[in-house]
Amino acid sequence: MMDNAITNPAIEAVKKTLAAVGKAIAYAVMGVFALMAIYPIIWLFINSFKSTPDYRIDKVGLPPVWYPQNYGGAWDIGEFSTFIPNSVIYTVVGTMGVVMLASLAGFAFAKIRNKATGPLFGSFVLGILLSLSSLMIPLFLQLSQFDNVLGRLLAGIHLIGKATDFHFFYNSRIGVILVYVGSGLPLAIYLITEYIRGIPTALVEAARIDGASYFTIFRRIILPICVPIVTTVAIVTLPNIWNEFALINIIVGKTELQSLPLGILRFSGSLSSDYGKQFAALVIGLLPMLVFYMIFHKQITKGVSGGAIKG
Amino acid sequence: MTSALRTRREERLNYWLFSLPAFILYIFVFAFPIILSTVISLSDYKGGQMFGGEAWRILGFRQYGVLFSDPAFWMALKNNLYIVLISVFGQLPLGFLLAYLIFRKIVRFGEFWQGILYVPAIISVIVLGIMWKMIFASDGPIADLINQAYMGTFKNALHHIVDASGGFKVTDDFVRQVLAAGDPKAVATLFGQPVAELKDYIVTSGFDMSNVDAFISEMYNLFAPKWSPEFLTRQDSAMIPILFVTLWCWTGMYLILFLANMQKIDSEVLEAARIDGANEMQIAGHIVFPSLSGVIFNAAILCIAGSMNTYALIYAMTGGGPMNVTEVLSIYMYRTATLGVNYPLSNAIAMVIIAFSFVLIGLTKFAEKRFGGKE
Repeated sequence: MMDNAITNPAIEAVKKTLAAVGKAIAYAVMGVFALMAIYPIIWLFINSFKSTPDYRIDKVGLPPVWYPQNYGGAWDIGEFSTFIPNSVIYTVVGTMGVVMLASLAGFAFAKIRNKATGPLFGSFVLGILLSLSSLMIPLFLQLSQFDNVLGRLLAGIHLIGKATDFHFFYNSRIGVILVYVGSGLPLAIYLITEYIRGIPTALVEAARIDGASYFTIFRRIILPICVPIVTTVAIVTLPNIWNEFALINIIVGKTELQSLPLGILRFSGSLSSDYGKQFAALVIGLLPMLVFYMIFHKQITKGVSGGAIKG
Repeated sequence: MTSALRTRREERLNYWLFSLPAFILYIFVFAFPIILSTVISLSDYKGGQMFGGEAWRILGFRQYGVLFSDPAFWMALKNNLYIVLISVFGQLPLGFLLAYLIFRKIVRFGEFWQGILYVPAIISVIVLGIMWKMIFASDGPIADLINQAYMGTFKNALHHIVDASGGFKVTDDFVRQVLAAGDPKAVATLFGQPVAELKDYIVTSGFDMSNVDAFISEMYNLFAPKWSPEFLTRQDSAMIPILFVTLWCWTGMYLILFLANMQKIDSEVLEAARIDGANEMQIAGHIVFPSLSGVIFNAAILCIAGSMNTYALIYAMTGGGPMNVTEVLSIYMYRTATLGVNYPLSNAIAMVIIAFSFVLIGLTKFAEKRFGGKE
């Protein structure tokens, strides 16, 4: 600075104080926001160990008596032993489907010349921005009408008894998984295609000249290189499917096919005044993703910073 | 020549083998529902068998007229716009600020802060929505904390009045002071002639120096100021908690996005600026912000798309109530389809949501071109 030569000790002292004040404010801002982000969730944990009467008396402090019985009660009433396995099935199969179909298509879009790539890839990119919740009603109509048509066809050739009992798309696991794979594809295809485009085409061409089939090239060359992006896509897709609510809320009516978010909502509707169990149910609802985040937070951060976000 | 042809054919066959499964599912989940929705929005379809059942006809844009004249539609559109605004002008600047503090190492342990701030974004909004609903409830912890503070002040005031009266002398002035510490509304509904009635009540109840605490808690129960927040149940304020939670939930995501892109900035440029004596405001405004402009516009587009997708959070917090004042378009659409069983109307809403989000995204793209945004 200009007055370096003079080094007035008073000015230096003022500057130091200002810098310290600035830093303190910065820490305060960061601390307040971090506390805001995490404290409600800690509050939830703490209160899930209070009995309902104790919560009514004190809503903020630690429980006077730790009451883990809330969890047993919530688990039984909430039928979580149905919802959690359902969520696991939808999420695991759905994520695997997204990753597989997206890497296949990504390979085609990036490394096999075809005039269709422009419109096809473009429509997937557009899909990233489409508000999926706006399609819930048409999706519901589509699934139930497909069942209706299929059911009448099959009943016509005496494969099934009554057409109205037939559920292949609506109120079925297959329907949910198809919808979830389809809705995860746009983002996954975008990320994987961009990644495969970065792989030298010469690699593919050399293998072609050696007589390798496209499938061999995909399996032996492309997939091994794609492990990082495929991992990222899987890790970003998984919580999206696990937490999905709008679509499954309308395409599945049967309780035994519903997922965890639907179960949590049902619970809060039926037991809203039994606070202890309510809090325990919410903790059961958030714990799987919290643990997932703790294990994979590095990869999740990487996925989000690569633009793989979905609000 | 024939071999080249065969290669071409193999190329084409493989292209479709690889891409078709994904594209068929895309049609299944996106393209076909959009077409179906367009058709139904123009029809008089009443539910039931769509193919081969009761006949239904295309009527034209009638439902859109119905939609645009429904006040509930404009209310929902307005709420959607609020959510877009709080997202674009709340989440993004906040995310930028927090990312900058970490990036410039103004606060240390950046990874720790970032890790914490992203937690809400990974958890189901159904869980978070119910959690916040309980926090904002009129018997929730916020109300409790504030009422505890109210109670403390009231009791202190009464102790003071009793002490000053010199041994619990129930004079008119004493009663007047006690009443003044209370909630005027509660006092007015309780008594016709407050001073005389309360004085009589205190004397006949036998309150004196020996049971001051009982006296105070009796007064507290009768007419102390109490606060009953009704954020989510009052029509004029129910949107505020929803907007707050929207901001709370997703800011961490943009922090991560911005921070990752800040870390790509050439460190020599920053070092040079520092040596030239630039302060943090100048570095933020002249170096970091401009080099992130492309990312910021992209974030804004994703932010708008995400905001238009808002559904579960409101479904869990208010269900669109009270009196539909917190409905967004998707909730309004769900209501017309499930409660009203008006499929043409609800599909018209679906079309409007899609059109509206692409208009907003188009505007953002236009702004990006107009004001420049670098990749």
